[in-house]
Amino acid sequence: MTRIVVLVTIFILTGVLLSFFDSIIISAISPIWKSENSIVRSLRNGISFFNSKKSLIEENAFLKEKLSSLEAETSSLSRQCVQESALLELMGRRQDPSTIAAAILTRPPQTPYDVIIIDVGSNESIRIGSEVSLPEGPVLGVVSLERNNIPVVLTGLGGGNFKLIIPRDIEINIGDRVLSSDITSRLLAIIEEISSKPTDSFKEILARSPANIFTLRFVSVTP
Amino acid sequence: MIHRILGSIIVFVSIIILPYWVYIPLLFIAIIIFPFFWEGIVLVLLIDVLYGNGVKALSWSVSPLAFSVLVLLIVLLYLRDSLRSYA
Repeated sequence: MTRIVVLVTIFILTGVLLSFFDSIIISAISPIWKSENSIVRSLRNGISFFNSKKSLIEENAFLKEKLSSLEAETSSLSRQCVQESALLELMGRRQDPSTIAAAILTRPPQTPYDVIIIDVGSNESIRIGSEVSLPEGPVLGVVSLERNNIPVVLTGLGGGNFKLIIPRDIEINIGDRVLSSDITSRLLAIIEEISSKPTDSFKEILARSPANIFTLRFVSVTP
Repeated sequence: MIHRILGSIIVFVSIIILPYWVYIPLLFIAIIIFPFFWEGIVLVLLIDVLYGNGVKALSWSVSPLAFSVLVLLIVLLYLRDSLRSYA
């Protein structure tokens, strides 16, 4: 009877102890599991090194088939791109190419407030209010995220950086692209940093222009 | 005593790196081989912590595996007392 009481006491005490230290135990054993996985992986690699010639020939044939399939898919995609361009032209939605290339005379950080001075003016029918754009698209405006198609407003922070604020439930990842909302969907910025506090209902996102404005040589100006 | 410690270590290592269909039979074999194998309770609760839903303090919800190990240990106590060995 005493031994049964001892067993039940050990059971209860061990249960109580392990309930408090379960996370510590798991974190202590995790490195063993990781090293076990790496050992198993390297063993598998070692075994595959000794694979038979036949299996290598089969794999080669499979990869060749896959390559030809991907080539066909790529060519069909390029055809689709040409068709889309022709369709846009037919619908009168083709991007107006009437922009003027302007050389930049001075750029940040030589000028304050990220001002750039270009070498064209009223002699080239440029006026106050003309849109100056990077080859990648406008600097500021109402744009959409590529992943979720959510309209957002980019706020310029200077130095080619932008800030945008979106609801915290919207999934966004570093590296996502911010596109202009016009039909051409030009690339405006790339998501670089996401910060949100648990108490906030919004998250703040920092994005970077794909072009380095400190090394610009030309811009496009739409009269 | 050495065999008992060695058996516990083997079961412990198998719990960490081997599949369940190896370490659960090993655990039951160790419980049957070694008399009053209370280490089995620690090992089965470790299985619950690592692979089960965890062990909750001051809770009556016990996993079937842990309960069966406890029952087996108690049953084996009576069985060993009633069996007479001439070895």
